[in-house]
Order: sequence, then structure tokens, then C-alpha cells
Amino acid sequence: MRKLTINHLPLLFFATMLLLASCKKEEYKIPDPVSDLSSDALKRTLGPNIVTQTIEFAYAMAIPKEKGKLVSAEVEATIAGGTGTFLQNNSYFTNSSGQDVPVLVGDPSVNKDNRTSVTFNVDTNAATLRYFYVIPEEARGKSVSFIFSATSSNGQKVTYNLGPYSISKMDIKRNIAVSNNTNSYISIEDMAVYNATSAAANAGKIDLVYLYRTSPGAFIHGLVSPAADPIYLPGVILPAGVNRSTKVRREFGVQDRNLANLQFGIYVDDLDFQQIKLTDAPNYAVGLKAESSAWVETADGKYRAYIYINSVSTASGGSAVISILRYAL
Amino acid sequence: MKKYQKIVALLLIVAIGFSACTKDIPVDEDGLLITSRAECFVSNFELLGADFITVRSKAAVIDTTAQTVNVEVLFGTDLKNVYPQFSLASDCKLDPKITAKTDLSDLANPKVYTVVSGNRQVRKPYTLIIKYQ
Repeated sequence: MRKLTINHLPLLFFATMLLLASCKKEEYKIPDPVSDLSSDALKRTLGPNIVTQTIEFAYAMAIPKEKGKLVSAEVEATIAGGTGTFLQNNSYFTNSSGQDVPVLVGDPSVNKDNRTSVTFNVDTNAATLRYFYVIPEEARGKSVSFIFSATSSNGQKVTYNLGPYSISKMDIKRNIAVSNNTNSYISIEDMAVYNATSAAANAGKIDLVYLYRTSPGAFIHGLVSPAADPIYLPGVILPAGVNRSTKVRREFGVQDRNLANLQFGIYVDDLDFQQIKLTDAPNYAVGLKAESSAWVETADGKYRAYIYINSVSTASGGSAVISILRYAL
Repeated sequence: MKKYQKIVALLLIVAIGFSACTKDIPVDEDGLLITSRAECFVSNFELLGADFITVRSKAAVIDTTAQTVNVEVLFGTDLKNVYPQFSLASDCKLDPKITAKTDLSDLANPKVYTVVSGNRQVRKPYTLIIKYQ
């Protein structure tokens, strides 16, 4: 039998330690109950943060009943919210039908500089308030952070930080009515539609003409740039000076949720506009249908846009409702 | 002990010898298997636009005798940015390869794609003829 040598001792020691460690029983610990004022927050809105749109948050706060009650809640944004920013003075519970039912817990919120606050007017020790931040023009292309805070009657204060959130450079305009031969001249720069008279007055800004044609059968609804081959502008007499050649690429696979009135689960974001290459795209898109779309780049290279076709109609010579996301290059 | 070492060395040499004698699997310059098949034809053709939607107005007509593929595309199709898709007989490959968007807008000079058989011995050029609806 071989004797235990000095070389074996570390190995034996290590094996013993391993055995001991593996045998140690983990005792269950009861989680530490909330013993002070505490809070939590989350962002409820998904997708890109677009100027004029709202970011919604939920801010929950609670204190043990024996310690006191809630006195106030406040949100501080690094950039003051736009008109319409508010902290809701309702808390919510979910009823048996799964619906959120509001309960009034405080006075209407007050905005002061970049702070929005609610003072509780009921005796409550737990509440979840919703905060609606309207993204202001000053925030375009920047980041915004939020500090949520709550105070209780025993003098405690708690804070919760969220962000930073990038604010998109995009502009959005929904539900613009276009009609064949009438309001058919689209300006990406103005995000507006003009008739022939107004188009002549804004000739340098007209990027696309909306058309509806039944023949050829593949034409139907089209977005055609004024400088396109005349076969794509049948019967169109362009107003004087309307002559831009806009790059257009038809798209059937993308339906932006913001433009599609919260249908679908896809968001077009700044990155899409930064990365898309339209240099070899044609200057017309025909065969458009409801829920289809088009990527656009203006002739002067100032803007890229995504035009979504919300709906189309063949009545009264053809019309459509479109929505636009625009990105300044 | 030396006797065992010699036996092991001998076995090793024999094993290496066997592995060296294994026949190589024939592959072409693209790493594709060269088979014994001599069939060489286009069985189907599809043409997708930049939005990955078909731009054909009807099924493509493939003439394996004249070696042509005739396609009629929808009015307004942007032929500078299309994705042609050939279905070929088993083990065939296409030359030139189609790896990205293709410009087929020069209707006066139709593109020619050559189908190469599985045994890489037969080559048949197919002319892709496109016309608008």
C-alpha cells in the first residue's frame, strides 16, 4: 500500500471542501417585507419615441399601513414635457373581467418647469399612477430621462430612475386624404397634400402625385413622381413648375404600427431611414393597395419618408388615406 | 516491450495506408457534389420585385428545346431591382450565380443563364426573355 505523500494533501483538502460545500443545506429565507416607503416604475409604450407622441409610464408606490400614508408623487423629466403632459390622479385595480378600473386618489397633476406632481387627497398607502409625457420639439434627436419620486406622511421620500430614452428625429402625420385629380399633389417637406392650384404655388415642394387608374389593371393606386415617364402619369397635366424626380420603392412587407392605427407589430424607426438605400429605386410606385406602403427619398436629398396606405376607395374616381413618417437627412 | 511497440507502429502505418486509399468525394470549384446525373434543364422560374412580391403577370413559359424562359411582368415593374429564381433539374447549378438583386431592364439584350448538369459535363444556355404586360 502506497503511503500518502505531501503531493496528495492539497487534493484531499480540496475534495473535502467540495464535499462540505455540496452538503451545505440552503435555508429558505422569508423575503424581507417592504418595511419602508418603496416604489417601482415601468415604461408602457413601445416603439420609437416620436415628437408630439406620448410616452406612457406606470409608477407604483407603497408604504406599510402602520408607517403612514402617501402624500405626493412627482416625475421630473430632463426635458420638460409638451402641452398635455400629466401624471394621472387615478390609481387602478383590475376587476374580475380583467378591466382596469380607476380610483381617484389625488388632485389633478400640476406641471411646473420639468416637474409634474400629484398630491394625494385620500388616505391611501399604495397607488399606481400613470404618467403621460408628451414629447416636445426640444427633445428631437436627444435623450430624455425621468426621476419618479414619492413622499409619505412619515417624511420618507423614495425615487426611481428610468431612461435615458432616445427621441426620434422622425415626424409623423396620420390620415391624410388624397384623391385622384383633386387633392393629389403630395409634399414630403410640408407633409401635406395640395390641389393643382396650391401645387403650382408650392411647385418646388411637390414630390409625388397620387393617381388611380383602372387601366392597365396593374396600375390601380399609384404614387408617381412628377418627373416619371409619362406612361405612369396618364392624363395628368402637371401644374407649372412641378417637376421633381422622387425615388420611390413599393413595400408590401412593412406596416408601421404608429401609422396603421395600432394594428400590426412593426415599427419603422430612425435606423430604417438611415440604412435604406434608394439610389437605384424608380421614381414611381404603382399597384398600391390598402396596407401597402412606399419608401421615398426626395429629389433634393433632404428627406426620406415612409408612406403607409391606410385605406383606398374606387368610388368617386379613386381616393386613398395615407399616413407619413418623415426623416430629415 | 520493443516487440509491442513494433506491433503498434505497424498497425498505425496500416491504418494510415487505408485512410490514404479512401476514394475522394468529387466536388466542383463551388464545393458542390459532382454526381452522375446528366439531366440539364430549367423546371420553374419566378421573378420577385424589390418588395419580394412576384412581378409576373402569369406563369413563365419555359421552352427546354429552344432553351428560353419567357416571362411577362406587370405594368410598372422596376426591372432594375428584381430577384430571378430558377428551379433546376436535380444536382444542376446555374452560371452565372444569382446572389443579389439583378438588373434585367435591358429588354433588347436578354440575359443568358447557363444550366450545368450534375455531372458538370452538359451546359445549356437559357435566354431569359422579359416583356411588359
